[in-house]
Amino acid sequence: MEVLRLQNLQKSFGSVRALKNASFALNEGEVVALLGDNGAGKSTLIKAISGVFPIDRGDIYVRGEKVSIRSTRDAMDLGIETIHQDTSLAPDLSIARNLFLGREPVKLKWLGVFAPLDFAKLRDAASALLKRVGISKKLDADALVSTLSGGERQSIAISRAMQFAAKVIILDEPTNNLGVEETHGVLRFVKEVRDAGHSVLLITHNIHHVFQVADRIIVMRRGEIVAEQTVADTDLLTVESIITGADMSALLKETRAK
Amino acid sequence: MIAAEDEMPVGKRRSSLIRSPQFSSLIILIVLLAVFAIADANFLSPLNISNMMAFLPELGIIALGMTLLLTAGEFDLSVGAVFGLAPVVVMLLVQNGGVDIGIALLAGLLLCVAIGAINGLIVTKIGISSFLVTLSMLLVVRGAALYITQGFPLKSWDQPGFFVTLLAGSFNVGSFRFYTSLWWFIGLSLLAIYVLRYAKLGNWISAIGSNRNAAVARGVPADAVKVWLFILTSVLAGLAGMISAFRISAASPVAGTGYELEVIAMVVVGGTALTGGRGTILGTIVGALMLRAIRNGIVLIGVPGLAYNIFVGLIILAMLILHALLQKNAARG
Ligand SMILES: Nc1ncnc2c1ncn2[C@@H]1O[C@H](COP(=O)(O)OP(=O)(O)OP(=O)(O)O)[C@@H](O)[C@H]1O
Ligand SMILES: [Mg+2]
Repeated sequence: MEVLRLQNLQKSFGSVRALKNASFALNEGEVVALLGDNGAGKSTLIKAISGVFPIDRGDIYVRGEKVSIRSTRDAMDLGIETIHQDTSLAPDLSIARNLFLGREPVKLKWLGVFAPLDFAKLRDAASALLKRVGISKKLDADALVSTLSGGERQSIAISRAMQFAAKVIILDEPTNNLGVEETHGVLRFVKEVRDAGHSVLLITHNIHHVFQVADRIIVMRRGEIVAEQTVADTDLLTVESIITGADMSALLKETRAK
Repeated sequence: MIAAEDEMPVGKRRSSLIRSPQFSSLIILIVLLAVFAIADANFLSPLNISNMMAFLPELGIIALGMTLLLTAGEFDLSVGAVFGLAPVVVMLLVQNGGVDIGIALLAGLLLCVAIGAINGLIVTKIGISSFLVTLSMLLVVRGAALYITQGFPLKSWDQPGFFVTLLAGSFNVGSFRFYTSLWWFIGLSLLAIYVLRYAKLGNWISAIGSNRNAAVARGVPADAVKVWLFILTSVLAGLAGMISAFRISAASPVAGTGYELEVIAMVVVGGTALTGGRGTILGTIVGALMLRAIRNGIVLIGVPGLAYNIFVGLIILAMLILHALLQKNAARG
């Protein structure tokens, strides 16, 4: 079952054509790795999907229906949750407040933005969530995010994406700056999320991680999607050569011969 | 061991309260009040307390708006000028234009809305820092006040009425004399505490100041929130200016000069971070009381008038150093 389809997305920043005709589809319960060198257009692609900025041209379909994503709110309402490369949490807020940022549980809803937060619900839901995602150390829902480690922050961001039962979870370099153990935690999360039926779009520069968790690989170069492969049908060197665009076939043959 | 662990959260909560910036400010305020009271018996006299309570709301009301704005990561240097311009416009409309006072007050407040909206829209839509935008606005607004009055104070106000009582009426409690502005300050303070700590909007304000991109990525309308906060701050500055002008029955185009810095000092002394994300209304109330008490007490204990800014500056600096040290400590613990 297809959850997300992109068709001929285009996006320019002035004279920089960051996205040229990018098309691909994401299926239910699938982890797709989006690869490509620095500046290939990966972040631009996911920012377009998550409504950070509008696309210039192209169509986006969610579960077969054509949609228009004009704001981050639109994307969230369609079940697309994104964890951006530049941290997604507000360090001066508590874990609980961060988990529900933008979707705060409130009483007296008719008061609009002046509605009082439902603190009991906020804290209970946060603790339940922290327990469910199995963060190793016991974290206090009232603790400020600024007191957490990078890995803990990443876990919070991922669990926030899971909590709203998002159809599609997008992770932009989630293992950046993380230690070995924390990286494993994040990768374990990705698998759990997939097993729970969500689809994941994972951007990373670490090809080893890709082979650990991804089902399919999409490679971008200079704003275009240049290759699409199933993980089972490819290997590390092939993928590396596609990313760089260098002719590595000679090197490849050499290694294979060994 | 288990018992100790169970008790942890309570202990942690208590120590975090004690280490919170508004708490340390409160302690210092109490110490200051005690020092002034011991140094000069007149400090706690009904007359002096009444005096302080008359001035307190005027800067305090602006400080409430400034706290919310700073928490969202912006600030406003034009508040002192707006404090001067708004009552000048209102009184000119009534005295020279023959406009009904209710309509004149409304026009004055709408002018403040416009000034705040212009500040906010330039900051958010064009992306110029609020320091530069509101500094320019300070000059424009102050210049406008001077120009329309030709630099002279207006003739004194001699028309009591409902609105004047509403803004600057006074009442006696025993030998204390209080102004209605105190009620305005108390009411607006409660409202601000509610919004910042308990309402959805407060969560947004803190998140925007803490990490704007994160807030926007969660669908928080950061720019709209900021524009409204600029408008709120401007309106509160104008309201404070009107309260002050009606209390002394006179409007001057230079009223409120330098208030922007005094107000920002109140806010940061109370523990709100200049860099955004962390704001406390209770702290601001303590800060407003503190600066008021310092200005008043220093004169009473006989520091020469020309020297007292030295003390005010040093006390502010000491407070900020204290907050910085506490902050470091908290980060380490
Ligand atoms: N807001 C912007 N304004 C102008 N140019 C931009 C903007 N965002 C991205 N670009 C440009 O678009 C191109 C693609 O950038 P993008 O961030 O999508 O790359 P990326 O694949 O995510 O790279 P990385 O692996 O380094 O994160 C780059 O050339 C970049 O300089
Ligand atoms: Mg990127």
